[in-house]
Amino acid sequence: MTKIGDRLLGLSLLVLALAYGWGSQQWPAPFGTHETVGPDTFPLLLAVALGITSLYLMVKPDPDNAWPNSRSALELLFAIGVLFAYAALIEVLGFIFTSLVAISLLSWRMGAPIKTTLIIATICSVGVFFIFNDLLSLPLPSGIFEVQ
Amino acid sequence: METLGFLIDGFGVALAPENIMFAVIGAFVGTLIGALPGLGPANGVAILIPLAFSLALPADTAMILLTSVYAGAMYGGRISSILLNIPGDEPAMMTCLDGYPMAQKGKAAEALAISALASFGGGLLGTIGLILLAPVLAKFALSFGPAEYFALFMMAFATLGGITGKNPIKTLVAAILGLMISTVGMDMSTGIQRYTFGILKLFEGIDFILAIVGLFAITELLLFVEHHLDGLREQIKVGKLKLKFKEIVALIPTTLRGGTLGFIAGVLPGAGASLGSFIAYTLEKQVLGKKGDFGNGDPRGIAAPEAGNNGASSGALVPMLTLGVPGSGTTAVLLAMLISLNVTPGPLMFTQNADIVWGVIAALLIGNFVLLVMNIPMIGIFVRLLSIPTHYLLPIVTMIAFVGIYSISHSTFDLKFMVVFGIAGYIFRKLEVPIVPIILGLLLGPEVEKNLSHALVISDGSWAVLWGSPLAIGLWTMSISGLMLPYLIGPLLRKRFQKAKPEAVEPDND
Repeated sequence: MTKIGDRLLGLSLLVLALAYGWGSQQWPAPFGTHETVGPDTFPLLLAVALGITSLYLMVKPDPDNAWPNSRSALELLFAIGVLFAYAALIEVLGFIFTSLVAISLLSWRMGAPIKTTLIIATICSVGVFFIFNDLLSLPLPSGIFEVQ
Repeated sequence: METLGFLIDGFGVALAPENIMFAVIGAFVGTLIGALPGLGPANGVAILIPLAFSLALPADTAMILLTSVYAGAMYGGRISSILLNIPGDEPAMMTCLDGYPMAQKGKAAEALAISALASFGGGLLGTIGLILLAPVLAKFALSFGPAEYFALFMMAFATLGGITGKNPIKTLVAAILGLMISTVGMDMSTGIQRYTFGILKLFEGIDFILAIVGLFAITELLLFVEHHLDGLREQIKVGKLKLKFKEIVALIPTTLRGGTLGFIAGVLPGAGASLGSFIAYTLEKQVLGKKGDFGNGDPRGIAAPEAGNNGASSGALVPMLTLGVPGSGTTAVLLAMLISLNVTPGPLMFTQNADIVWGVIAALLIGNFVLLVMNIPMIGIFVRLLSIPTHYLLPIVTMIAFVGIYSISHSTFDLKFMVVFGIAGYIFRKLEVPIVPIILGLLLGPEVEKNLSHALVISDGSWAVLWGSPLAIGLWTMSISGLMLPYLIGPLLRKRFQKAKPEAVEPDND
C-alpha cells in the first residue's frame, strides 16, 4: 500500500494555504482606523488551520485507495470530455441534440446496449425539453435546430 | 399551548392546495430516489434545489417539497434493501439484515408492509419529538451570543464526521476548504474583493447551488464510470399481502423503541440516520435476546431499523431548523435551499418565518400519512421502477442537473464550473476526504466569519472571548471530544458496523 495520495494532497493543500494566506495580506488596509478585525482576519485563520492540517496529512498519511487502472482512467477522461462538451455546446447546438448525444455516449460507455440507449435518450431529452419550455416556461436553448 | 396554535397555523399553510400537491409529488419522488440504488437522498434533494429555485416556488412550498422528498427517501431506501439486498441509501443498510431473508422466504409483500408501517411509526414519533423539542431549543438558542455561535459552528464541523468517521483530520480539511471557497467574492463589511482575480463572475461569490449539484451528481456519475457496479440484480417477486392485525400490533413496542432511539440519534451531533437505525437494530436484538430470530427474517429486525432511520430523519431537522446547523448531508442540502430563499435559519426563524417552519412541520405530519398510503397499496409502482439500470439513471440525472443549473443562470460558464466541482469531488472521494463538510463550510462560511468578527469587535480584539462563557466552553469541549472520539471508540464501532452490513455502501450522505 502506497501513501502517496495523502502526501500529495497534503503538499498541494500546504501550497494552497500559503498562497491563500499570502493573498489575504495583499488587500489595502481598511480606511482610517487600525481595526482589530479586518477582511483578512478570517482568511488568515483558515490559512493557518489548513497549513497545520496539511502538515499532519503529510506526516501521517492514510494508505491509498486503488486508483483507476489505465482503462478506467481513459473512460473517466472520456466522460469528463463529454460533460465539458455538453456544457460548451448546449447553447450552440441546442438542448435536445446535445442532451441526446451526451446521455447516449455516457450510457453506452457504462455498458448499456446502444439501441435502447438511443431510444431512452431521445425520449428523455425531447420530453424534458417540452416539459421545461412549454409546461414550466423555463426556456432551454433550441440552438441551430430551432423550428419555427 | 403556544406550540399548538403555531401548529394549527402550520396546517393552514400545509393544506393549501398547491402545497399539498408539492408534498405528494415530493413524497413520490423521494420514495423513488430512496429506492433506486446509486441515488442517495442528499443527491436527490441536491438536484431538485435548482429546479425549485428556477420555478420560483414560494419559500414555504419549496421547503415543503424538499422536506417531503427527504422524508420519502427514508421510506424508499428499504425497498431495494428488501428486494435486492442492496440498500437504496445508507440508513437502509440495517434493513437488509432481516428484510432480505424474509423476502427470500416468499414474504416480500409482508416485509415491505411491515417496514412501511414501522417507517410511519418512526416518522410520526420523530415529528412529534420535533414539535416538542424544536421550540424549546429555539428559545434557548436565543441566548447565544456571537462567541457561542462561533463555538457552535466549530462543534458542527468537528462532529460532522460522525463517531464512525475514519479520519477526523480529513473532515477538518474538507470544512476548511469549504470555508475558503465561501470567502471568495466581496467582503460584506468592507467591500474589498477577495480572491476574485478580477473575474467578474466571482465578484458575487461562488454559487453554492452549483457547487452542491456538482459535488453530488457529477461526482456520483464519475465514480460510477470508474466502477461499473451494475450487474444483473436478482430481484425477488412480490406476492400477495397476507398480514394479520395481530402481527402488526405485536410490532408496536419495537417501533416505539426504534423511533425514539432514532430521534435521539438524529438530534445529537455526529450521529445521524445511519447510526440511528444501527442503534435501533442492535438494541432490539439485545432486548429480545433469544426470543428473536434476528438475521433470518425476524419482522422485528425490519421494524426496528426502519423506525430508527425515520425517527432520526425528523430528529436531524431539529438542529437544522433551530440553530441553522445541520448534522447530516441531506439536512445540509436543505439548509442550502433555505439560504438561497433568503431565509436565515436559526432561532429567529421560529418567530420571523413561523409560517415556513410550522408549514414544513405540518407537511411532515401529513407527508407521513401520504407516504404510508403510497408505500402499501401503491408499492407495486416503486417495485417496477426499481429495475431501471443505473447506467441509464445516472446520465439522466446528470442531464437534469444540467437543466437545473442552466435554468437558474442561463450561463454555460456555470455548467462548466459545476463539472469542475464534480471532478474535484471525485478526487476528494478517492482520497477519502468527505464531501459534506465542504458543503457545510461553503454554506456556513459567511455566518462563521460574521460571528467571529462580531465577537472580536465586542471584546476589542481579545480572542479569549471565544471561550469566555460556560456555554461556549461546553461547546468547545464537545467539539474536541467530537474530534477525539473517532480515535478512541471509532475503530470498535466501525468493526461492528462492517460486520453487520451486507454490502459496502459509500459512507456519506445520509
